[in-house]
Amino acid sequence: MAIKNEEKLADIDVIESNFESLNYICNAQIATAVFLAYHLEKPILIEGPPGVGKTELAKTTAEMLDLPCIRLQCYEGLDESKAIYEWKYGKQLLYTQVLKETLSEILEGARGLTESVGKLHEFGDIFFSEDFLEPRPLLKALKAEEGCVLLIDEVDKSDHEFESLLLEMLSDFQLSIPEIGTVKAHPDRKPLVFLTSNNTREISDALKRRCLHLYIPFPDADLESRIVHARVPAIPEKLRRQLVAFIQELRGMDLKKVPAISETIDWARTLILLHSDSLDADLVRQTLNVILKFQEDIETVESELQGVTNKALKES
Amino acid sequence: MDRTLVDFVKVLRTAEIKVSPAETLDAMVALDVVGYQDREFLKNSLAIVLSKTPEEKEAFDDCFDRFFTFDKFSAMDEQAPTRDQPGDDSDDFDPQSDSKEQGSGKGGQGAGGGGGGEQQEQESEREASELKLEPSSPLGKLLLSGDKSELMISMAEAGRKAEVNQIVVFTQKGLYTRKIMDNMGLKELQQEIGDLQAHGGPPQADLAGRLKAARDRLRDRVRDYVEKQFMLHADESGKLLREELLKKVKLSNLEKRNFKDVQEVVFKMAKKLISIHSKRRKTYRRGHLDIRKTLRHNMQYDGIFFDLHWKASKVDRPKVMCICDVSGSVSNYSRFLLMFLYSVAEVLPKVRSFAFSSDLGEVTRLFQQSNLEDAMAKTMRDYGNGSTDYGQMLADFRSHCMDDVDKKTTVIILGDARNNYGDPRADVLKEVYDKAKRVIWLNPEPKMSWTVGDAEMKKYAPCCHQAEVCNSLVHLERVVSNLLRAAT
Repeated sequence: MAIKNEEKLADIDVIESNFESLNYICNAQIATAVFLAYHLEKPILIEGPPGVGKTELAKTTAEMLDLPCIRLQCYEGLDESKAIYEWKYGKQLLYTQVLKETLSEILEGARGLTESVGKLHEFGDIFFSEDFLEPRPLLKALKAEEGCVLLIDEVDKSDHEFESLLLEMLSDFQLSIPEIGTVKAHPDRKPLVFLTSNNTREISDALKRRCLHLYIPFPDADLESRIVHARVPAIPEKLRRQLVAFIQELRGMDLKKVPAISETIDWARTLILLHSDSLDADLVRQTLNVILKFQEDIETVESELQGVTNKALKES
Repeated sequence: MDRTLVDFVKVLRTAEIKVSPAETLDAMVALDVVGYQDREFLKNSLAIVLSKTPEEKEAFDDCFDRFFTFDKFSAMDEQAPTRDQPGDDSDDFDPQSDSKEQGSGKGGQGAGGGGGGEQQEQESEREASELKLEPSSPLGKLLLSGDKSELMISMAEAGRKAEVNQIVVFTQKGLYTRKIMDNMGLKELQQEIGDLQAHGGPPQADLAGRLKAARDRLRDRVRDYVEKQFMLHADESGKLLREELLKKVKLSNLEKRNFKDVQEVVFKMAKKLISIHSKRRKTYRRGHLDIRKTLRHNMQYDGIFFDLHWKASKVDRPKVMCICDVSGSVSNYSRFLLMFLYSVAEVLPKVRSFAFSSDLGEVTRLFQQSNLEDAMAKTMRDYGNGSTDYGQMLADFRSHCMDDVDKKTTVIILGDARNNYGDPRADVLKEVYDKAKRVIWLNPEPKMSWTVGDAEMKKYAPCCHQAEVCNSLVHLERVVSNLLRAAT
């Protein structure tokens, strides 16, 4: 496979540093996955808790390679007319109306039904040609001139049937459209496919088998600190450490939804807006709703706030 | 290297990581791209290709580390005389370079490291031992050369020949150690040591001593290796074997120490059942176009299909009522049946359970809230003692729960139907039979003894839709599976 900016995927160190220049800090596993996805021409299935940068990875890859990122958001009831293609019914209708006149001209002089039908046949399936085809994300990705990054987001939200629909696309990079035939990706311009899943249900083995599997867990303190630094460069060093230590502390607690990286970043931005340069219990209490999204979680943390804050301050 | 990879995949499979042949092929392609230079890189790559859930990833890490351990070898032969600097050498042996050499060695070396080229050695033996006092047998040379990676390769090669990955029980360890030593050329080494000692001169005796020491170290090493292979291959497959056995063993014969294993097995079975049946439910929910209903409803619109009607989603969620005899002889069956029913709660949400030996009591909440051991213990305490009285139980059931029994209810009764010659009250069961969707009687005893002694199965069986022998996990699984099939 040869795509634009191929050299940016030369080896994992290069990938890592390229990501970093785009403010996406990743570990070796993530870089390895992207590296293999490109060289093995396989889709990556990314799993992990919400907010750890699964979708971001795909977008960043697209940005790094300067390729279009085609996104397919999955939801229950998503079907092929939304994901692969649809006929432009309106256009078909309109054209038949307009062409009615022409039709009689064509058929002029034909005698009998057989002859007329024979004449019509000479024109082929005009109304079911690519001109009347409305490509949806999957088909678009296959037809992309320079290759592209295809992001199939939250595939666990779709139905089982849709998963099966994806199989052909993922293993052979081709799709079958009954009226036209099989559409194949250019062998050198295969799309780089990312699938994300939040694990709300088990993805079928057939799909998993066709994908590389990357699990992105919550980052450790060091990595998280680097991520915050990359995303919110304005934050003072001391506050950053305290903030990260606090978040790490929270992840150890028994909460309904623990804060993810995106929450950490939001929080960092909030603290900057408030012009604070050090963490304390009051400040945390006021801004707790940025990192915790459930009232019961907020109540749990509030009761232990002083202790957790002190611990975080000590650790940092 | 291909064979190493296949071996590794085999190890992964015994560790319950599902690796398909297609994935193995992917892994090989990945190997080509990645190479063996960087151990961490290799590990990450293989993890991404081969393991597909977080749990599998954990197991994978463990397997990888155990399968590709060579670092221990570097500590070997510290006192052994080596041609090159011994100190540097053992430091050099980090796992990376080892796994790399291992890889390249496997392909090309073939049988070389083992007992190959025997005639040559015998010819050269005489000259060599007399002139330079170098060991002549290939193994001897290898041992004294201090080339650990060569030795490692040779050992792995011999191990493969001896099929050490077939090891199943720990008593085979000695056997495999011997086989590997033989394959590495122990015989010639022994011969050489013998010859040298017979020769008698001081240099020869010295060499013989060194060889002997090296041989003993090697034997320890091989034993270690076999041990590791055993952990790798047999430990897990032994577990699988045990689980298979547990599925078939009579539940009444289970000992307490096995309960934990059985629980695991039950959860696995339950998970399988869930994954089979939850899918089905989904397709049912959507429903088809109900032509008849649509026609009927659209009469008023002049027969134009205006108001479509769909076949109502099949929400035929069954109510299961499970009545368990918890007197000593049957309690194990009840335990695991209940465990099954609560494990499949995801697809079978409405389970009510009752326990009795004479008086009936509902234990639904107890089983939902506490873990199985506690719930079972409490149930036994509250209902366990007293002689079995099925008549009383049925009478209680009628007075408490008959109103809740409707045509969607499945009633499962688990018990041996031994009523101590009391009134069986089969009439009550008949009543239940008429009202419920299904009545299933599970009897742990073989059919032969259903009518012997105080057993009342003969009277009860006609009042059941299904009366079955049920005395192992396999049976239980079948029953629950049928239940789910009827249900969804």
